[in-house]
Amino acid sequence: MSALADVSLPPLRIEKEPGGLTLAAVEKRGVPLFHARISFPAGASTDPAGKTGLASFTSDLLRRGTLRRGADAVDALIEGMGAHLSVEANMDECALGLTVPYELAAAALDALLEVALEPSFPEEEVERARRQTISALQSDLDEPGTVASRALAVLGYGEGHPYGHPLAGRTRDVEGFTRDDAAQFHAARYRADGALLSLCGDASRDDLIALARARLGQDRFASFARAKSTTGPLSLAPAAYAIAARRGLTALVIHKADSTQAQLRIVAPGLSRKADNWAPAFVANAALGGGFTSLLVDAIRVERGLSYSVSSRLSMNRHAGLSLFSSFTKNETLRQLIDVALEKMRGYAASGPSADALAKSQRYLAGLFPFSLQGLEALAEQVSDSVLDGTGLESIEHYRSIITSVTAEQARAAARELSPAREGAQIVIVGDAAVAQKALEGICPVEVRPIEEFA
Amino acid sequence: MALDPSRFPVEEFTLANGLRVRLLQDRSLPVCSIYSFFRVGSRNERPGITGISHLFEHMMFNGSRKYGPKEFDRRLEAAGGSSNAYTSNDMTAYYEDFASDALPLVLDLESDRMAALTIDDASLARERGVVKEERRFRTDNDIDGMMDEALSALAYLAHPYRWPVVGWMSDLNRISKADCEAYFRAYYAPNNCTIWLAGDFEAGYAREEISRLYGAIPAGPKLPAVPVGEPTQKGPRRSLVQFPAQAPALLFGYRAPAGDAVDSLVLDLVETVLGHGQGSRLIRALVYGQELCVEARVGYGWRLDPGLFQVSLRLNPGVETPKAEAALYAELDKLGNEPLPAEELRRAKNLVRANLLRSLVTTNGRAHMMGQMEMMLGDWRKLLDLDDRYEAITAGDVQRVAKEIFAPHRRNVVELVPGELPESDPEDVAQAIDAHLLAGGAA
Repeated sequence: MSALADVSLPPLRIEKEPGGLTLAAVEKRGVPLFHARISFPAGASTDPAGKTGLASFTSDLLRRGTLRRGADAVDALIEGMGAHLSVEANMDECALGLTVPYELAAAALDALLEVALEPSFPEEEVERARRQTISALQSDLDEPGTVASRALAVLGYGEGHPYGHPLAGRTRDVEGFTRDDAAQFHAARYRADGALLSLCGDASRDDLIALARARLGQDRFASFARAKSTTGPLSLAPAAYAIAARRGLTALVIHKADSTQAQLRIVAPGLSRKADNWAPAFVANAALGGGFTSLLVDAIRVERGLSYSVSSRLSMNRHAGLSLFSSFTKNETLRQLIDVALEKMRGYAASGPSADALAKSQRYLAGLFPFSLQGLEALAEQVSDSVLDGTGLESIEHYRSIITSVTAEQARAAARELSPAREGAQIVIVGDAAVAQKALEGICPVEVRPIEEFA
Repeated sequence: MALDPSRFPVEEFTLANGLRVRLLQDRSLPVCSIYSFFRVGSRNERPGITGISHLFEHMMFNGSRKYGPKEFDRRLEAAGGSSNAYTSNDMTAYYEDFASDALPLVLDLESDRMAALTIDDASLARERGVVKEERRFRTDNDIDGMMDEALSALAYLAHPYRWPVVGWMSDLNRISKADCEAYFRAYYAPNNCTIWLAGDFEAGYAREEISRLYGAIPAGPKLPAVPVGEPTQKGPRRSLVQFPAQAPALLFGYRAPAGDAVDSLVLDLVETVLGHGQGSRLIRALVYGQELCVEARVGYGWRLDPGLFQVSLRLNPGVETPKAEAALYAELDKLGNEPLPAEELRRAKNLVRANLLRSLVTTNGRAHMMGQMEMMLGDWRKLLDLDDRYEAITAGDVQRVAKEIFAPHRRNVVELVPGELPESDPEDVAQAIDAHLLAGGAA
């Protein structure tokens, strides 16, 4: 089979505006649609001390009233155009996006900027959002997978790390949120420098840039577009993102009564999105537990029928990441699942991928990569991330050749250095505590905590 | 406005054995997506082998005449592709996304398993275990899954929609190799399949290669008729599910028409008015206005036979079930008793149109959407003027259909009662439910 050629991006243009805002315009023909996405350095890693969840809380409030209209009118404006406004805060950023038929591009961009830049944080909406967030955190306790994710952030990065708390925060912190908290967070983090506005749609890149400048040039947005902000640094010093080393293997069991199935996670430090060795790491992970014919899927699902779902993955934030194993099984086979997972991952860390597995993983990743550029939303996000992460457009355009040029030695090193089961790894089980404790006998020290602690 | 047909240059043909083939080129990126739609789902099952359609979906990846066990995905991934599949009440769909130069391999893999799938005891035992694990994950330990299962069993008395797609656990234990072989012979024949290929390929090559590889597969027998009868529902029905949970939940299913009925498009708009977007009526009233729910979801999926219009409410901790239920009925009644304001109708139409356009952006999306349209409505061309048909719907249509569908006698309700999981002793269950009723819970 021939080598896979690199992929050409559609015509695009990236501009840095005087106030520090980055504009990215991507010409995407085929369907008459327009997508706009704006990203701010307002992720959960910037939650103030004692206020975990404030980034997420603030992002939820953006659409609940602006200086020009109330919450219902905001929804009517956006959904009247046929758009769903997505507002997503992750650890590093908060991104707002919407997609509309192209003829509504100008109105849609105005609406997006209004929600992002002119929220009014009405007192009654803040009160309601606080009550709703607390209810949702409690309701999440019914979802074992969600509880496992909340625990992993704390365990994986460690308490006090910028990424070491649940994205949605803790109930005890959310209970104290006020209107001022949200307004101050918005004023500090939703600013031009560090923000990126990407437009993608059925028009030329120059027309898209002109559209962005015209809408941002309106008096209402002028102060944002022109002025650099001076409120605090965009990110912390690199040392703040270092993950403290751990020794041995430990386990946390989160007791959920009456479970007939247990969720199993194994976590160790991973890679940041800026890491130079992302390509060997991707290849090594794909061979371990990324694809359907990976080592772990083969051993756990195909060979033994122990689980419906098993994977390893790299959970990558901009400045640090985790290496994760994830699966579940019925109570009766939990010990077997743990044993097989640890044995296979430790063996793989020692040997790395075989020549066949290496070649297969490279082709698998490279072959499928163009699918991540097909949708307007996906394309805008890829371009936005490459700029904000500092990896550059070449990480997209040359993705295929970078992946296929990974050597066996590089893949072995990544397999060894990033194994989820290496020294210092932690096991998390959400399920019946008695079952989990028995399954972990003789493997490692175990701490048991009630599920209610994870709200 | 209708979609421009020139943007969807579909080439279609049917082989002598009945296989229907649709080709849709898009050479903007070096990738393809292919779907194989089989007209078989849980609707085609019978008691005793419920879940076999879905179990069979798993079996399709376990080897065939030319490609041994594990080879399907190993070869595909090594060529830069991935596969997946899903089973619904009405159909089973297999799809592959892949680098375009892997097309010869993908066609060979797919045609080989249609021609001569390997079904052996070892792979059946293994997949049985995996599917049971999937059932534990999606149903036995998942509140939405267990309520959905209870709703189907409540709403349908005779129709095969009564049982879950994943099947009852006792049937998963019972399905035999002979059942699987008979199922394959009946339902996996070329005359029960439609292939949709979209993306970067040479049309002439695809046409010839598909004809060569699939052409020799014999047509299958005439399929047994599905026993689609269902007695008229004569009054509201209710079912209680007891499970450890933070708060109660409610799932409603109103008897609704099949996907090809004229009113199904009206119900798509009703679904959007009620539950799509933050500005939808139920989100505004129940989540924000009265703060009764953490979440309110609305779903009306087209089915081959009359289906259900569903509303799911996950209540805020501390909210009494009757209060949330009354609030929902008030909203549904309002939609049936008052004309929909023009701006709300416009909003619903715009959202439906934008969703339609978004679903057609990717090769996978196009192949899936157009194939599904053909499976449900009999002709993919009906996709092209779908937007015009939504546009023609009036506020009066919405009011009429809401009034009809949300009538109490069409209603089925599943209520989640938080509590310890009942043990196998049925007396415990009866006592717990009696206690709930005595405490004022609805029946």
